Amino acid sequence: MLTREEVLKIAKLARLTLTEDEIVFYQKQLTRVLGHIEDLNQVQTSKEAFVQHVPSDAIPFREDRAQPFPNHEGLMGNAPAVENGCFLLPTIVEHS
Amino acid sequence: MEFGTQTIQELLEGYQAKQFKPSEVIEGYLKNISERDEKLNSFLQVRPEETLANAKKLDGRMNEVNQLPLFGIPIAIKDNFLVEGWQATAGSKVLSGYVSPYTATSVQRLESMGAVIVGKVNCDEFAMGSSNENSAFGAVRNPWDLERVPGGSSGGSSAAVAAGLATVSLGTDTGGSIRQPASLCGLVGLKPTYGRVSRYGIVAYASSLDQVGPFSKTVWDSARVMEVMAGFDDRDATSSKRSVPKYTEELSSKRTFTLGVSRSWLEGVDPEVGKSFEAVLEAFKKMGGKVIDIDLPHTRYSLSTYYLIAPSEASSNLARYDGVHYGYRTPSAKSSEDLYSRSRGEGIGREVKLRIMLGTYALSAGYYDAFYLKANQVRRKIQEDFEKAFTQCDFVVSPTSPSTAFKLGEKTDDPLKMYLSDIFTLPVNLAGLPGLSVPCGLDSKNLPIGFQLIGKPFCESDLFTAAYQYEKVRGEFPLPSIAKGKG
Repeated sequence: MLTREEVLKIAKLARLTLTEDEIVFYQKQLTRVLGHIEDLNQVQTSKEAFVQHVPSDAIPFREDRAQPFPNHEGLMGNAPAVENGCFLLPTIVEHS
Repeated sequence: MEFGTQTIQELLEGYQAKQFKPSEVIEGYLKNISERDEKLNSFLQVRPEETLANAKKLDGRMNEVNQLPLFGIPIAIKDNFLVEGWQATAGSKVLSGYVSPYTATSVQRLESMGAVIVGKVNCDEFAMGSSNENSAFGAVRNPWDLERVPGGSSGGSSAAVAAGLATVSLGTDTGGSIRQPASLCGLVGLKPTYGRVSRYGIVAYASSLDQVGPFSKTVWDSARVMEVMAGFDDRDATSSKRSVPKYTEELSSKRTFTLGVSRSWLEGVDPEVGKSFEAVLEAFKKMGGKVIDIDLPHTRYSLSTYYLIAPSEASSNLARYDGVHYGYRTPSAKSSEDLYSRSRGEGIGREVKLRIMLGTYALSAGYYDAFYLKANQVRRKIQEDFEKAFTQCDFVVSPTSPSTAFKLGEKTDDPLKMYLSDIFTLPVNLAGLPGLSVPCGLDSKNLPIGFQLIGKPFCESDLFTAAYQYEKVRGEFPLPSIAKGKG
């Protein structure tokens, strides 16, 4: 069983605030899924290469060139808070 | 005239014969949505005025029917695709109210060839689920039995087509999210080869697995959508430059095929599904085909492999939902760090959080080799199993899902139980192969059963040809009564 501390550590790394109920819930669920995943240890593996999806004859190359996005307004329109055309965030550094 | 039950082929024939106009067809489908979708919850957004205006523009272009392969075809789009001016929630509260600033390449190609979008359809949150019960906007119900799930994650895409609310639809398939709901709703569903269709403008889940594909009532319709939609896009670095065949023109080629069956893989399948699958094998034999036994020894590890790789990629892809640039922002943050964690904690749903945490754990210091690296090594072995099988046969075949549609709530408490409904579809994504689900029967509860043809990379044309032959032998597949305006 994953400990409460382990769940909190994972949640911190994932930037997820969990409620008390969720901590208990994910302790059980993560343990359940990770327990199943242990069956991979039955497979003998050595240095197998990662899967190559795209056939090598088809790996496309293109010039690394920035292209203007035509709908700037549409992009900024989805922002939760904007000021002077910039994304607005809470204060990061407190004044002393 | 009543609309809803027609195929693309039938609508095109009607347009060619000037029996009806696009606006009449679209009006018919919009009426179906307003009358029937209250029961199904398959649509998340409908814009009747814009949709009808688009259809009316086509009314004046009736002489272009033969130049536009999808002229006046009503299509529904899964809500994890971006379509300019439409919402794209991906079934998540995090993206509630998000308006797409541009259009996905796949959708743009269909629209430019005459397709008319009738709406955005429901799905499991961020395409994570097998029953559509993980949507922040409520579960979708199966048109064949409203007490049952339509499958997932593209449950809205499958329910909408089965119920006659769209002629075809688009979905995404990361581990079975097109094929399994297609099977559970009695439709044809294709997961193309990795790299065949552009993913530009799709909300990313697991980028080494995600693919875009169509839902339709017939193989011909699926082939038609694919010949318009597939092909290279310089905005998706994984899209292939291989040319796209005219799939519909190759359907009638007279060929016989060798099908490979892995018997050990089929253990635990519902007996009625198993019986229907055996009948499919017999049908192919009668058409001159061969059925041979093959071995796929590593497919039994697909579930574990998938549930390390997909969540790992998801934990990275979903890091962008932090309440800064778009999407849900918590009202109570005191610092930036607090803003990220609270916005994510409050906005993201239960199953998605589970997968983000699984992935974070698998990628974290000290666990990477044991989990992520190991999973990728086993993934390679699964791919090699298929490569070996294809030296002996043209296709690997299996049922698409181990059971027919299950009841709402039946599997929501145990993630593993839910994950097992994708046992036949997961390895296909892991190996990057194309998979086509085709309806093959109804069980004693009058629920659809589907089988899956798995092909070599970029051999969609062969899959379509074989499935088209089978479809001719099987005969027309029934529709649920709701599609005919009843029930």
